[in-house]
Amino acid sequence: MAERKQLHREFSEELSSLWRIAIAPSVWAIHFVASYGLAAVWCAKWSDATLLGDVSAWRVLICGASVVALGIIGWIGWKAWRQWDFLEDWDYTHPLATEEDRHEFLGHAAFLLAVLSAVGVIATTLPALLISTCT
Amino acid sequence: MCVRRRREWNTKSGAAPHDGGMKIRTVALAGALLALAACEGGPQSALAPAGTDAAQIARIFWVMLIAAAILWIALNGLFAFVTRIHPRPISRRIAETLIIGGGIVLPLILLGTLLTWGLRAMPDQRAPGDGLTVRVGGEQWWWRVEYLPADGGPPVRSANEVRLPAGLRTDIELSAALVIHSFWIPALGGKMDMIPGRVNRMSLAPTEPGTYRGQCAEFCGLSHALMALNAVVLPADEFDAWLSAEAAEADPPDGPGADLFAREGCGGCHAIRGTEWQAQVGPDLTHVGGRTSLAAGILPMTEEALAGWIRNPDAIKPGAEMPGYDHLSPEELTTLARWLMELT
Repeated sequence: MAERKQLHREFSEELSSLWRIAIAPSVWAIHFVASYGLAAVWCAKWSDATLLGDVSAWRVLICGASVVALGIIGWIGWKAWRQWDFLEDWDYTHPLATEEDRHEFLGHAAFLLAVLSAVGVIATTLPALLISTCT
Repeated sequence: MCVRRRREWNTKSGAAPHDGGMKIRTVALAGALLALAACEGGPQSALAPAGTDAAQIARIFWVMLIAAAILWIALNGLFAFVTRIHPRPISRRIAETLIIGGGIVLPLILLGTLLTWGLRAMPDQRAPGDGLTVRVGGEQWWWRVEYLPADGGPPVRSANEVRLPAGLRTDIELSAALVIHSFWIPALGGKMDMIPGRVNRMSLAPTEPGTYRGQCAEFCGLSHALMALNAVVLPADEFDAWLSAEAAEADPPDGPGADLFAREGCGGCHAIRGTEWQAQVGPDLTHVGGRTSLAAGILPMTEEALAGWIRNPDAIKPGAEMPGYDHLSPEELTTLARWLMELT
C-alpha cells in the first residue's frame, strides 16, 4: 500500500512535465490547422481584404499567429531546457530510474519536441510569407 | 571484422558475393542515365526548357538534385569513414556534435534554404500575363481551347492545340467538364490541375518558337494516356496574324464533302463557324485542317489519319464518345477527310 502511494506521488509530481511535453506539439497542430483553414476560408470569401498597407490580410494574420505560437513554444522550450538540467549541475544525462533522472528526461523530451514544433510552425508560415496571392 | 570477412569471401570465390547484384545495379543506373539523356532536347522535356517558367523549374530541379547528391555522398562518406576507414570508438562529445550538427542543424539549414528558395518560385509561375488569355477545358479525352485577345475582341474558339506568342506572358485559365484533368506542357512550364466546377489560373511565358508536346497529367479515364496536345509557340507578330486567321469564319467549299458532313449528322456535335453547324458537344472544326495534330495530339493531321479516325475512333482512342462511321465506303471517308483538311 505504501509502495503504491509512493508511486502515485512520484507520478503526480510529473503531471506538469506531461503537460509541458504536450503543449508545444499542440500549439504547432493548432497553428497548422488554423493557418490552412484561415487561408482557405479567407481566400474564398475576402480575397481582396488587406491589412498593414497593401498586404493581404490572411498573410498578416498567419504571421501574427506564428509569432504568438513561437512565443508560447519558446517559453515552453526554455522551461523544458531548465528542467533537463533540473539541479543546474551541468548533468544532461539521465540513465537511472530515479526521480531526478525521470524529471530531467521528461524535460529533455519536452525540449526536443519544442524545437521540432518551432521548426514546424516556421515551415507552415513560409508559404504565407513567400506566396503572396490567393490564386 | 566485416571488412576482413568480405575479403576472405573474395579470395575464396574469386568474386564478391553480390557481384551479380552489382552488375544489375550498374546496368540499371546506366539505363536510367540514358533515359535521362534521351529526355534532353525532346518536345516534351522539362529538362529542355523553352520558356521562362520551365527554365525556372529546370534550375530548381538541378539545384535540388545536386544538393541531394552532395548530401548523399557526404552522408555515405561519413558512414564509410566511421565503419570502414576509421572503425574506432569516438568520444561522446564528437558523437553528439555529429548527431546534433549533422542530424539536426545541417539538415535544418540546408532543407530550410532549399524550401524557401523553391517556394519563392511559386508566385512567378502565376505572374499576371501581358493581355492574352487562353481558356483550356478538359474533356474526356480532348481539350476545349478559347482565346480571349488582349484587345478585348470576341473569344476565338478552337480545340486540341494551344498556340502562344513567344516573348509574352499569357494567362491560362483551366477548367474541366466531368473529371479532374491536369494541364502540363513540360517544356513551357509547370503543371496545374483542371477541376470541374472551378477555374484554376496559371500563366506561361514561352521564349523559343517551336512545337512542344503537352500531356494530361492526371488520370482521367480509359484514354487518359492518349490525351495530349501540341503547343505551338510563334513569334509575336506571326501569332497575331494566326489569331486573326483563326478568328475568321470558315469558308468550306460546297461539294460531296460538305454533303457527307451534313448527311452523316456531323454537325450535331461539331461546330464550323460560318456555317449552320454550331454544336459544341465535340471539338470545334472551324480550322481543323490547320492544326498540327489530330485526336488530341496522338495522330498526324493527314487525310489518311483523319479518314481512319472517322471510320473507327474507338479503335484509336478507346472509350471515345464519337461514334464510328464504318458504314461509309473508303472513297466516302477520303472525300470527307479531304474536305475537312481544307478547313484551314
